[in-house]
Amino acid sequence: MANVLDLRRRIRSVKNTRQITKAMKMVSAAKLRRAQERALTARPYARMLTSVLESLVRRTDLYDPITGEIRHPLLVEREEKNVLLVVVSGDKGFAGAFNGNILKAAQRFVDERQAAGQTVDVEAIGRKAREYFRRRYPAAIFERKTVEYDEGMSEHHSVLRHRSGPVEVTGDHPGLLSHLTFDAVNALSHGVVERYEREQIDAVYVIYNEFKSVISQRVVVEKLLPVRKLGAPEVAVLEEMTLEEREEAAEAALRAGISLKAPEEGDLEGTTDKFGTADVEYIFDQDCETLFGSLMPRYVTTQLFHGMLESVAAEHAARMTAMDSATNNASDMIDSLTLTMNRVRQAAITKEIIEIVSGAAAL
Amino acid sequence: MAETGNNTGKLAVRLVTPDRVLVECLADAVELPSSAGYMEVLYGHAPLLSDLGAGLVTLHGTDAGVDTKYFVSQGFVEVLPGQVTILAEMALHPEELDASAAREQQAAGEAAWHGAGDDAANYDAANAIIREAEANIAAAETSKH
Repeated sequence: MANVLDLRRRIRSVKNTRQITKAMKMVSAAKLRRAQERALTARPYARMLTSVLESLVRRTDLYDPITGEIRHPLLVEREEKNVLLVVVSGDKGFAGAFNGNILKAAQRFVDERQAAGQTVDVEAIGRKAREYFRRRYPAAIFERKTVEYDEGMSEHHSVLRHRSGPVEVTGDHPGLLSHLTFDAVNALSHGVVERYEREQIDAVYVIYNEFKSVISQRVVVEKLLPVRKLGAPEVAVLEEMTLEEREEAAEAALRAGISLKAPEEGDLEGTTDKFGTADVEYIFDQDCETLFGSLMPRYVTTQLFHGMLESVAAEHAARMTAMDSATNNASDMIDSLTLTMNRVRQAAITKEIIEIVSGAAAL
Repeated sequence: MAETGNNTGKLAVRLVTPDRVLVECLADAVELPSSAGYMEVLYGHAPLLSDLGAGLVTLHGTDAGVDTKYFVSQGFVEVLPGQVTILAEMALHPEELDASAAREQQAAGEAAWHGAGDDAANYDAANAIIREAEANIAAAETSKH
């Protein structure tokens, strides 16, 4: 059995670990609160945009009366041959199964699509996804070609892509999540929309961690493009919290002083859903189609932005839970080590007494 | 006169950005940078939906007493007789505008325009950048005076 000095050293080291995990838990709890707040304040904009688009849809003919084709490129559905997958993971570890779940789900998605003979482009958001996919799949190679004509008076640019495998990483965005701004997401979404409009990709999916409340989170894959129904994207759940995880998260939240309920929104007196939908004849400064066309890409951006905000909140919640259980484990360990140490010390004392007593008896 | 909203003779103005609801107040009149040019909305205006270009939104006669200005870009507005709701991707106080950054953006936009080749979409994108930068510079300069 280890001696008292060793045990004391171990207890000290576990205590230090517990301090660190406790601090990390409190930091995550604070960040979670802020992330929840952000996700909440971002909602009115998304709601209003969706409702005005819905109202425009009712007022315009989205289908060409002659050819019957859909007029807006982001609504057009094509056979899915090339699929873009946006994976939203976390930047850092120490968040329990958070990153593992996302990456596992993403890998399964990629494998399924690959088995179905489709090509998959991966856009990795967050450091963990970036590291994971970069290691496994080649990066897409683009070649910029410039052809001059009219004796160098003008030139033609084209970008050629050389595919080296069915699955490629087309881009990663380090640092996007740590300073999540609408502008940054907008840049990403512009790229995605452009590739969709040019028919380089036939569908866009996003895998992220949905966050309803501390005890209600799940990994989902959402179909971003083509848009089938405004405001109600097709979502498939890939991974849900087990009852055990829920309980753990609930306990952690309780200890960190975070409410379990999904945060209530003010909803601006319930008017956000009515934006642009009043039952009156609007004057349109531009025609409906132009408006619809200019709002559609913004809708895609809001969807992406929303997914990322939720993912960030979920990451902090997962880290808080993980660090809370780590702190508990450390406490348990300290208890058991202290018990062992006391036993060892007592055993040593008892042994000494026996020695003295038996020595005295031998006299 | 107004079927919706209040009866105070004032417009309920809301400026909403992706991050939050930035402004919620009452005003006598609102000047808006519609993509076809500036327009001013008074109480009782006919219902209107419009795209906004980059420019200044001015609120006249707010409770604060002074005119409040915001620089917005990539926006959208709904006008109802007693209510104006502005959705904007970006909204800043004019003091926060950075004219030198805008000039850089303008230069970048022009460079993009010259390098756009023969793809119409590239020109559109470059033009949008230039327009936004120009509005930005103009707003920054007017707010100085």
